[in-house]
Amino acid sequence: MDNKSVLLENNIPLDSEFLNLSREDFELLPREEKILDVEFKGESVSYAKDVWRRFLRSPITVVSAAIIAIIVLMGIVGPYLSGFTAFEQRWDLGRLPPRWPGFEHLGIFDGSTVREIQAANLPNWEPVLIRVVEEFEVVTSRGPVPMLRIRIDAYAHAAVQHAANIEQGLTPDPTDMYFLFGTDQLGRCLFSRLWQGTRVSLILGFSAVLINLAIGMIMGSAMGYYGGKFDMIAQRIMEVIVNIPFLPLCLILIMLLGSGMQTLIIIFLINGWIPVANNVRIQFYRFKNREYVLASRTMGASDKRVMFRHILPNAIGTTITFVALSVPTVIMTEAFLAYLGLGIEAPNPSIGVLLRNGQENLLTYPFMMLFPGIVIVLLMLAFNLLGNGLRDAFNPALRK
Amino acid sequence: MLKYTLQRLLAAIITFFVAMLVIFILINMLPIDLMQHLVDLGPPQGGEAAAGWTSAVTQHTVDTIMERFGWDQPLPVQFYRMIINYLQFDFGISLVVRNNVPVVDVMATHLPVTMQLNFISIFFILPVGVFFGVTTALTKDSIYDHTASTFVVLFIAAPGFVIAALLQYFIAFRLGWFPILLAPEETLNWTRLHSMILPILAVSFGPIAHMARVMRAELTEAITSDYMLLARAKGQSYKQAIIHHAFRNASVPMVGTFMFLFIGILWGSLVVEVIFNIPGISRVIITSMQVNDIQLTLAILYFYVAISLLASIAFDLTLGIVDPRIRMGGKKDGQ
Repeated sequence: MDNKSVLLENNIPLDSEFLNLSREDFELLPREEKILDVEFKGESVSYAKDVWRRFLRSPITVVSAAIIAIIVLMGIVGPYLSGFTAFEQRWDLGRLPPRWPGFEHLGIFDGSTVREIQAANLPNWEPVLIRVVEEFEVVTSRGPVPMLRIRIDAYAHAAVQHAANIEQGLTPDPTDMYFLFGTDQLGRCLFSRLWQGTRVSLILGFSAVLINLAIGMIMGSAMGYYGGKFDMIAQRIMEVIVNIPFLPLCLILIMLLGSGMQTLIIIFLINGWIPVANNVRIQFYRFKNREYVLASRTMGASDKRVMFRHILPNAIGTTITFVALSVPTVIMTEAFLAYLGLGIEAPNPSIGVLLRNGQENLLTYPFMMLFPGIVIVLLMLAFNLLGNGLRDAFNPALRK
Repeated sequence: MLKYTLQRLLAAIITFFVAMLVIFILINMLPIDLMQHLVDLGPPQGGEAAAGWTSAVTQHTVDTIMERFGWDQPLPVQFYRMIINYLQFDFGISLVVRNNVPVVDVMATHLPVTMQLNFISIFFILPVGVFFGVTTALTKDSIYDHTASTFVVLFIAAPGFVIAALLQYFIAFRLGWFPILLAPEETLNWTRLHSMILPILAVSFGPIAHMARVMRAELTEAITSDYMLLARAKGQSYKQAIIHHAFRNASVPMVGTFMFLFIGILWGSLVVEVIFNIPGISRVIITSMQVNDIQLTLAILYFYVAISLLASIAFDLTLGIVDPRIRMGGKKDGQ
C-alpha cells in the first residue's frame, strides 16, 4: 500500500483505518432516493415543433407553400415589374400577343400572330411577314380564291398601322416594347394586370377568411363555453343560415349593394363563419370539463383567460387547415361571379375578371386566358394540397 | 321513418318561409322605384295641359299600375298576397326582360335547357365517379391508382370554367371534333346531343373527381375494417364481401357528397352556359337582376331556394334509408 497520507478538503489527513479497507467492509444497499439531476436522454418535442417536422416531411406540402409564397410575392411586387401600369390604356396597341426578350426567334412568346389573307395581298404584308404557314383555298361565289395563312410580327404590324399616331406622339412606338403576357383590348399590360388581379383576389380571399375566423372563433367559444340557452338559440340561427342557399343570397346582395369588394366580403361573411364556429364549439365541449381547465379556474383564472389561453388552442390545427382550404374557395367563387358579370368592378381587375375577359377573346386571342388560367389553377392546387398537408401535420394520430 | 320525414319536411318548410321573407324584404330594400322614375320624366310641358302626349306617364297611370300589382299596399300585405298567388301557381308577370309575359312562361322556355344539361351530367357523373373511386380503392398504391389520384387532385383544384375554356379551345376549336357552341335545335336529336357533350364534360370533371376521391377514401377504410374479416370468415368470397358489406358502408357518405355536388352542378352549369352560349336560365338571372325585373327575379330566387331545400330533404331521407342508425335517432358524437 501507498504510505502517503490522503488529505481531505481542510488539509486534515484521513484516518488511516479508512485507507486500508477490504472488500468485506462494503455491503450492498438499496438506493432510497431518486437521482434528480440526470438529464433526459431524448429531446423533448413541443407540439409546434412536431407539426413543423411533419410539415417538412411532406415535399408536396412544402412545394405548395412555396408556390403560394411566390404568388403572394408576385401579387405584392408583380404590378411594378414590367414597367407598365395595370391601368394605363393604349388604344392602338390592343390585343398584342406576349413577347419576351430573348425569345424573338424561338417561335413562342415572340410577339407573332397568325393571320389569314388573300394570296394576292401578300406584298402588302411583306414588311411584317415572318413566314407563310400554309396555303389553302376558299370557295366563294366567284370561284376559288387562293388564301395564305401567314405568321406576322404583331408589334411591327401595330407600328406600321398606327404610324401617324406614333409620329404625333399619341401612341408609344411598340417596336421595342415587350408585353410579357400581351395586352388586352384596351392595350393594358396583361402582366401587370394579372398580378394586380392576383393581389385583389388574394386580399379578398384572406380578408374574408380572416374575418370569418374571428367571428367564428368568438361565436364558437361563447357557444361552447357558456352553453345553455345562448348555445341553443345560436345553433338554431346557424341552422337557418346554413339552409338558405348561397347562390340566391349572393345574387340578391349584389343587387342590393352593387358588385364590389365590400359586397363580396359581406357575401362570404354570411355563412363562412359557421364551420369555424361549429368546430370551435365542439372543441370547447370536449375540453371545458377537463381537469386542467378546472385547475386553472381554481387558481382564479378569468373566463376570458380560460377560454382563450387554455381551451381555444386545441382548435388551432383545424382552424389553420380551414384557412388554407377556404381561401381558394373564396377566390374561385369570386371568379365564378365574375363570369356571370358580377365580380369586382372595373377598372380594378381580379383573376376572375381577367378570366372572363380572356373567355370573351378565347378563340382569337387565347393568350389572354392562358396566364390567368395558369395562376388560378396553381393557386387552387397549391392551397388544396397545403390544406391537406396541414391537416395531416396537425393530426397527432398520424405521428410517426 | 314517417316521423323523421315529417320532421324534416316541417323544418324545410319553415326555412323556405324564412328565406322567402328575407329575400322579399331585401328586394324591397332596393333603391329603385320604377314608377317614380316614370313620373319624374313626366309630361314635357305643363302637366295635365299636354294630355295629348301619349308616352308621358301621369300620376293617374302610375296609381293604376301600382294598384294593379298591389304595390300601393304595405309590405306585409304584399307579401301575404304573393304567398296566396304562389299557392295558386300564379308567379307574376315579367315586366322588363320579356314584356308582359307570365314568369312561368319565361321560366318554361329557359329552365328545361338548364335542367337537361344538369340531369344528363348527373347521370354521367354518378357511374363514372363511382367507377373510378372503386377501381382506385381496389388497386390501392398501384400505378393506375397513383395516376388516377393525380388527375383527381388536378380536377378538384381546377375550376370548371378553366376546364370548359380548355375543352372549347383545344377540342372544339383546334381539333374541331365538337361544335364550339350549343346547337340551336329545339329537340334532343343527335346534332344537339353532339354539341352538348363538351358542356356536359365541363360540368362533370370536378364532381367526378370529388366523387372518386370520397369513394376511394371510404372504400379503402371499409376494406380494412373488422366486419370485412368477419364476412370472409363466415365464408363469403372477397367479391361478395366487397359488394355486400364494404361497398354498402362506403356509400353512406357518398349520399352527402352527391347532394353537395348536385348544388355545385346547379351553380357550375350557370357559368358553363355563359361559355357555351346555352340559352338556359343563367342569362335570364343576370338580365333580370340588371334591369330590376322584380317579379321574375323573385320567382327565380325562390326556385333556387326550393330546389336546394328539396335536394337537402332528399339527401336526409336517402341517408335515412341507406343508414338505419340515422332514422332510429342515434345520438351524435361530441355534441
